[in-house]
Amino acid sequence: MKQILMGNEAIALGLIHAGVDMLSGYPGTPSSEILGNFQKFRDKFKLEAYAQWATNEKVGFEVAYAGAISGKRTCATMKQVGLNVASDPLMSASYIGLKGAMLLISCDDPGFYSSQTEQDSRSFAKFARIPVLDPSTPQEAYDMVKLGIEFSHQFETIVMLRPVMRVSHAREICEVDDTLHVKANQGNFERNIPRWGAVPPAGRFRQGLEQIERLEAIKLWNWEHLIEPKTHALKGSRVLCLTSGTGDGYVKEAVEELNIQVDILKLDMPYPLPKENLEALFESYDKVIVFEESFPCIEEQLSSPKLYGKLTKHVHLIDEFSKDKVLSAFAKAGVIEPNHAYQSEKYDKELPKRPPNMCPGCPHRDVHYAITKTFKKKKSIYTSDIGCYTLGLNQAAIDTILCMGASISMASGFSISDPDKTVVATIGDSTFMHSGVAPLINAVYQNHKFVLIILDNSTTAMTGRQTTPERTNPNQIDIKRIIEGCGIACHEYVYEQDLNKTVDFMKSLQEAYKTATAPVVAVVREFCVLDKENAVGRLGNVLVEVDEDKCVACDSCITNYKCPPMHYNDAGKMEIDPFLCAGCGSCLDVVCPTDAFVKKEEN
Amino acid sequence: MKYQIVIAGIGGQGAVFLVKVLSIASALAKQKCLGTENHGMSQRGGSVSCYVKIGDFYAPAIDEGQADLLIALEGNEALRNIQYLHKDKGVIVMNAPKNFPKVDFETHSIDAFKKAKAKEFPIDALNVYMLGVTLALDAHFPFTCKEIEEAITAMNAKVAEKNIAVLHQGINDAKAKK
Ligand code: SF4
Ligand code: SF4
Repeated sequence: MKQILMGNEAIALGLIHAGVDMLSGYPGTPSSEILGNFQKFRDKFKLEAYAQWATNEKVGFEVAYAGAISGKRTCATMKQVGLNVASDPLMSASYIGLKGAMLLISCDDPGFYSSQTEQDSRSFAKFARIPVLDPSTPQEAYDMVKLGIEFSHQFETIVMLRPVMRVSHAREICEVDDTLHVKANQGNFERNIPRWGAVPPAGRFRQGLEQIERLEAIKLWNWEHLIEPKTHALKGSRVLCLTSGTGDGYVKEAVEELNIQVDILKLDMPYPLPKENLEALFESYDKVIVFEESFPCIEEQLSSPKLYGKLTKHVHLIDEFSKDKVLSAFAKAGVIEPNHAYQSEKYDKELPKRPPNMCPGCPHRDVHYAITKTFKKKKSIYTSDIGCYTLGLNQAAIDTILCMGASISMASGFSISDPDKTVVATIGDSTFMHSGVAPLINAVYQNHKFVLIILDNSTTAMTGRQTTPERTNPNQIDIKRIIEGCGIACHEYVYEQDLNKTVDFMKSLQEAYKTATAPVVAVVREFCVLDKENAVGRLGNVLVEVDEDKCVACDSCITNYKCPPMHYNDAGKMEIDPFLCAGCGSCLDVVCPTDAFVKKEEN
Repeated sequence: MKYQIVIAGIGGQGAVFLVKVLSIASALAKQKCLGTENHGMSQRGGSVSCYVKIGDFYAPAIDEGQADLLIALEGNEALRNIQYLHKDKGVIVMNAPKNFPKVDFETHSIDAFKKAKAKEFPIDALNVYMLGVTLALDAHFPFTCKEIEEAITAMNAKVAEKNIAVLHQGINDAKAKK
């Protein structure tokens, strides 16, 4: 049956068709829609399956892994930086293996569209010694989910699926199964202490040897089932292109369009590779070029003087692929003359910059504004975290961003290393649950003095508003009580659009900080403007405009507050774009030193 | 057939909706289609660009100098993406004011913001409006009005009637301008 599917939908449907009925993960672009779509299909087909967001990727992995060692077919989803968090259990699980099946999906983001690092999860698979499948389109992602689950079951190993953003967020017409044959699979944990509870060194040593044996078997399987059948289609050109994932599409398209004489061999499972068999293929070629995104995972497993790639600097080292980059690699390797078929002139005059920015009307903007207004920039350090509020960078309200949860632990560090400054940490509710609780305990345990503001909009906004623990179980899990559980007071503020009130609240924290001997912790109860359930009735309905006579173009609003509708017009005065303004009215009172912002009309 | 479209706009204008409509239209027209959306950090107000490749393609992104059509929901976003257009056959359909800089391509522009301000159509249907303008003005656009209408209905039958009305308004306004 043909269906138009986005990559992440195709993956979710593949999981259903592969009989997976236990799914756990943590949202992260570009992986986030997999779990949501799985829930959608599950409900549509009336299947019984567990599919829930975990507090973080490590937890999500471990939940799915326990399912797999009790014999179920399971899956954990995350993005590449999330895999860093889950790497601890992954390393051990890779030694131990499993009974049912488990697919670990880690989505990569070549080109840094929404990530702090590029990374290549295939390298992580190699480090952990588990096989990895690298799809190049939504269709392949669907097929590889099914292959991966079967393979995982057969070899008792975790299998990784590594789609990149251009697969997860691509849309195409896919051929998928017509009917559904899956039934919920029953787990049954069988006690086997030497396997599941092995203690180093003796137990793990044996498992380590088994892991290596398993890898050898998988290499052979990779050759016999995935690579060898494709070699019959090679045409015997002088140059062989080894491709993987989306790299394949770019090479194929450029080669076809410009009629370049090369052979292309796509490696569906880029790790582990049957090195000897592949290298034997090289004999009939003059040059072998590896096209892969993002790290040299294939290239590092092979060795030959004929090999060209990232390690030899013939292929670009960072950023996503393009056909232009394919041509430039061919040219550098001496396969073609330099060719600029895929280059064109850009518009060279200045255009308005539109860096990522918080939505108009977003409460985070007010909190950041109030922080910088109260805790002056020269005397403060602002640590922050990963989420929409990271975009407070635009307001110069953030000094550091490292990884999930680090705002709090780094606040501890700065409070020791630079005690004359007031450290103000900001973190969202989902990030706090993900990795903020442990560093808060650490800070209380050692009496580190800083201000911590938890921005609670009760959703994981940046990745598409997935539910959070508090949202799902508000009576049990409450940030305020978690803080109080640490034995300290929780300052609570229910956000209002009157910016003066947010500033006043910040001043009260400043007062509390003066006499504090431990972290001063606050929670601001907000909402996300895109969250229909929560934002209703809390968004304003005024239209704001700027009084041109009063505006002195001092930049104050646009540097300190920076709401997207604000821009300079041809007369050099501030203007509000009525199509972007959310009508919240926050900017009316505080942001302009000459009071040029005025109410135009009620919406 | 091979036809490549870049859709550019600002977060919140519904560029992604157009990718979905065009991929459904491709399926209805029995064409292969590969579309990608640039999700991520851009909340409302950031630049957004999407690609739709209709026909036999393998690479998800559109390279510079390749696109047949650029639909820009905002004028500056057209300029920002101009390098994607094919030198000889590239066409721009954009929402831009009258005094907008001239460029070296066949350009069809309409001041949709002005019309929305005058409440001629609801601003949240700007994407569909511009699709109507495209249908009317781009001679090589690979879909018929009927295919687009069917695709809009397949997307969301509940609001289809309203959307199709805006689509025709776009078509009519564009024709009246011609
Ligand atoms: S998505 Fe929600 S939380 Fe994020 S910037 Fe927009 S309003 Fe704020
Ligand atoms: S009222 Fe002011 S702060 Fe609110 S969205 Fe409009 S411009 Fe931004």
